[in-house]
Parts: sequence; C-alpha cells; structure tokens
Amino acid sequence: MSEVLLRARFRLRGARARHLVLAVRVVAGGTIAAFALSTPGFMSSLSINALLNAISLIGCVAIGMTFITLTGNIMSLCLGATVSASALIFLASLSFGVFAAFLIALLFGVAITAVQGFLVGSIRANPILVSIAGLSLLIGGAALITGGQRIYPSGEGLQMFKGRAAGVPVEALYFFATVVIGQIILSYTRIGREMTMVGSNLRAATAAGIGTTSAITYAYVIAGACSAVSGVLLAARYGSGDMELGAGYDYIAIAAVLVGGTSIQGGSGSVLRTLVGVTVIAIIEVVLLLRGFSQQLQYLITGIIVLLVIMLHTIGERR
Amino acid sequence: MQFATKLLIEPNKRPFTIMAAVVIVLALMDQGEGYFFSLGTVFSVMQLFATFGLVALGLGLSMLVREFDLSVAGIVGLAGCIAVITGASSPWLGVLFGVGAGVVSGVIQGLIMTRLHLSSVGVTLGGLLTLQGLTYVLTENKTIGYPNIAVALGLNAPIGGLVSVRSVAALAVFVIAALAMTYTHIGRDIIATGSDRRASRVAGLKTDRVIIGVFAASGASAALAGVLLSYSLGAASPVALADVLPTAAAASIVGGVSVVGGRGSPLGIAAGVLTLCILRSGLSAIGVEPHVHDLVTGAILLAIAVLDAPELLQRVTAWRLDRAERKA
Repeated sequence: MSEVLLRARFRLRGARARHLVLAVRVVAGGTIAAFALSTPGFMSSLSINALLNAISLIGCVAIGMTFITLTGNIMSLCLGATVSASALIFLASLSFGVFAAFLIALLFGVAITAVQGFLVGSIRANPILVSIAGLSLLIGGAALITGGQRIYPSGEGLQMFKGRAAGVPVEALYFFATVVIGQIILSYTRIGREMTMVGSNLRAATAAGIGTTSAITYAYVIAGACSAVSGVLLAARYGSGDMELGAGYDYIAIAAVLVGGTSIQGGSGSVLRTLVGVTVIAIIEVVLLLRGFSQQLQYLITGIIVLLVIMLHTIGERR
Repeated sequence: MQFATKLLIEPNKRPFTIMAAVVIVLALMDQGEGYFFSLGTVFSVMQLFATFGLVALGLGLSMLVREFDLSVAGIVGLAGCIAVITGASSPWLGVLFGVGAGVVSGVIQGLIMTRLHLSSVGVTLGGLLTLQGLTYVLTENKTIGYPNIAVALGLNAPIGGLVSVRSVAALAVFVIAALAMTYTHIGRDIIATGSDRRASRVAGLKTDRVIIGVFAASGASAALAGVLLSYSLGAASPVALADVLPTAAAASIVGGVSVVGGRGSPLGIAAGVLTLCILRSGLSAIGVEPHVHDLVTGAILLAIAVLDAPELLQRVTAWRLDRAERKA
C-alpha cells in the first residue's frame, strides 16, 4: 500500500495535488456520512443527543489543544489534569454562587496554562517537558490539598450546566459557544492571526516584529480556559469530582485535533477543523455502537481509523 | 562554584548530579533514623525501576533520534496481555510473543514514518489508540488472570534483599543497551541521526534503517516491561497504566536526553529513572505524604525545562542590560 501512496505523492504537485487530496477527503467524509445515515436509528433524537454529549466535553479540550498545536507546540500532556483540577476548584467554590465559581474555575485554568505558555513563549522552553512538569505539580498539589478525597459541591447551581434547553443538551450549547468564540479569536483578531504566523514560521514571525511571547502565551491561556469549561461541565454532569475526571483527555483531544486536519508542525489549522475531527470520531463511535459492535472492537476500529485519517492528512500536507 | 555549575549544566553529568543531590537531601531528611538507607528501600526502588525503567529506555531511544514514541504506553499493556494469554504453559513463550509484538509494532510504525515521511507524534498516537484497541479485543474488556503463580512469585522474590529477577532483567537490558551504544557503530548512528538527519544521510548513513531499528528496539523494550509487569502481578488488564507515559518521558529528560535529539545515553536514562524511583520510595520510606514526590518531580522538571531553554541566556542578558540602563 505504501508503494501506491508513495507513487501517488510523487505525481501530486501543486494545485492538482491539493484538488486530489481534497477529493480523497471528500470521498472519505462521504463514506463516513453514508455509513452513518444508513445505520438504522442514527438520526433518532436519542443517538443525536448521545453524539452531542460525547463531543461536548472532549470537544472543549480539543479546541484548547488546537491553539497549542497551531502555535507549533505539538501538544500538552497537562490539559487533562487542568480539566480535573478546575472541576475540583469549581465544586469547592460553589458556595460563593455559581457565577463566581465558574469565574474562579476559569481563572484557575488560565493561570495554570498561562505560566506554561509564558515559559514556552519567552525562553522557548520545551512545551512537552513543561506540560509534564505542570502535570506533576497539579497532581501532587491536588492530592496534598484534598488528601485524595472526592470533592462534592459546596453549594447550589449545578443545574445551569446540565440538562437541556430547547431540547438540546446544555453542554452542547456551551461547547458550540466555545467553538464560535475560538474561531472568531483565531480568524478575526490580531492575536489569533499572530498565533498562526508564529506556528508556521517562528523566526519569520520574530523578524516581522510579532510578539511571539504574547502570541504563544495567549494560545496557552485559551487552552486553559477551554479546559476549565470542560472541567465545569464534567463537574456538573457527575455532581462530584476527583483528579481522575479528565485523565486521558489529552490523548483523545490531540487525536481529534489531528483527525480534523490541523498540522502537527503548526501554522495550519483551525477550530472548525477540530470540530470536524471531534464529530468524526464521535460519529464513528456511535455508528459502531448502533451496529452492535462490542466495546472492545469499537476501541480497535476507532484507533485504526484515527491512524488512517492522520496518515491521509499528513500525506496531503507534505511539500 | 564554577565546578558546581558545570555539574549541573553539563548534560552528561547532570543526571548523576541530580541523583546524588536527591539521595543526600533524603538522607538529611531521614536524620540517621535508618528508614531511608535500608534494604527495604533499595528493594522497592529497584522494583519501581523494573516497572518504569524499560519504558523510559524505549521512549528515550526514540527521543535520541528526535522522534517521540507515544505508542510505548500502548505496547506495555498489549505485550502484557499477549504474554498472559500465550504464556500459560511456558512463560518463555509468552515473553517471546509479547516482545515480538513490540518489535512488530515498532517496525510497522517505523516503516509508515520513514516511507511516507510522517511525523512520529501523529503516527504513534494512532498506534497508541490502535494498540489499546487491540488489547481490549484480546482481553474482551476484562482482566485476565495468569494461572502460573510460581512465575509471579519467582520474578519478585528478593535476591540478597536488594533486587529481584524482574529488576535484574531490567538492569541487564540497560547494560546491553549501554554496551551496544558505546562499543558498536549503533550508538554513533543513532546520535548522528538525531543530531542532523539530513547531514547523516548525505554522509551515507541509512537513516531510515536507524529510525526503524530504534522504533523496533523501543517497542521491544516497552513490551518486555509490560510482560514482566503482567507476570509479576499475575494478571493483565486492558486499562493501561495511565501515568506510564509522562513518567517515562520525565525519567528520560531528567536522565539527560535532549528533546531536540542527538543527546543522551542509556546510563543517563537509568540514572533518570532511578532518581524518580528514589524520590518516590524514599519519601514514603521517611514518612512524607505520598504525593509530595509528584510536587518534587514537577519542580525538578520545571527547573530542567528552564535551564535547557534555548533562549534563556538571551533573555537574562537582555533583562540585565535593561536594568543597568535604567540605573544609569
């Protein structure tokens, strides 16, 4: 198979290449859509709701991860822990009222990642190393403060972040709001454009006089805020929390980012692509579930499809 | 003073400096009570070393060639399950199949990366998810017990109160890796590929083969860790060790492996793993709260991240000039 792909790559140059890659993507997307629509019960409100629930929580983290990947900093292994920690902060500060608690959780998430972003941006510290340091500090700090106990809500107001409004799960509304805000920041603000430039060529961006430190720091700030939103939604859904809540989210999030087609090298990607990535993964899972595949086969098939899609994208973007 | 800075900054010496510092600080905290310097602590350090060491070695090798093998976390689980399933009658058969699976997975991913010129993070992330899926399928989403309890007991039985068969096996692999890296051309090839791949290729080195070989070795090493762990627990479960990847990465980096490739050694990685294991067992031996070691590990990693940052010096110089200017 690799021979065929290799030859295909040599033939693909320039605009024609882009058209062909686009065609392959459309065909792949069409196949998934056809599979989904031909699955009995996929269009039922039950499965649509399951789909929305599945993409909302992980989706927020994936949106945040997009900004880190886009600025050329590969991925963060600390976002899952940030999700858990902000969920704990949110639950613990509910006694100040739900809005205050939401704000505190948001500020906390932002503070955690802002420090990391500043280190990465200002002195070019290695992003993966910094994120592992952050992960250790968060896990250790949380265990020290909570003593490993579960945290229960200290006040009322969780209903704001769960249940449904106008027939749609509330989580999905928060998620779509995050998508819209994220994409607006990325395409219509100066800092958003600077992030893309920093990711595509750091030295050129520096030479052009772009504040690379602030662009990267802001990317991490957004990642922290998105993770905190996910943490608040998780806390509301489960009604209590510990540091296991968001464990493993980092990997699913980066998978969604890459499946969406954001380049791992940075400089090319968008929030909307990640929305597509999260949705594709969720659709595959729901379809497999509806078609009666066992849980274990679902994991395997999803893994293989993620691998194939990532290969497809990277072949397309290679120069 | 200059000597001390050298010990801390020179990458070949730093892992051992950090390890010595950790031992000294723990000994001071122990205040001669004898909880830290005891056979029990050494044994538990070595048991932890057996669990995390080989995974760190695998990941560290991939970092040496400037790649990042996320799939080691998946191989640990898969190889453990394969060994438990196939090794019921003969444990060696399980080792063979488990490690074989690690090699195969490494070679396949290496081929995909080199033939299609893909980055390792994407490919090994897909690999990680696929391997985890395979593990779920093989175990049918359950924990499988390993009937051969004698093997489990034998692997973990203390030898001279210091080590067990399991930790000796891990140590042996490190020694073999260190010898191969020092005395054969493999070491030079790996360092050359990691330092500058294009230059190495121009100089006639078959870098693609080096990469595939490194990923095969990385898979084998992580697989052996998984096999030994599953045997000694007497069970295999698809729910992988969640913290295995960050711990392995942290150990490699504390062990002096550069994240931008071309720098590091198996001995350094061993020192890095030992440092983290000594922290974990040592702190609990002297009765410090169990999660303080996470905080200390995090602080050490943060310090390394800052010290190794390529633009630290420029920033500090700029800041000093700025301050001098303001004074004048």
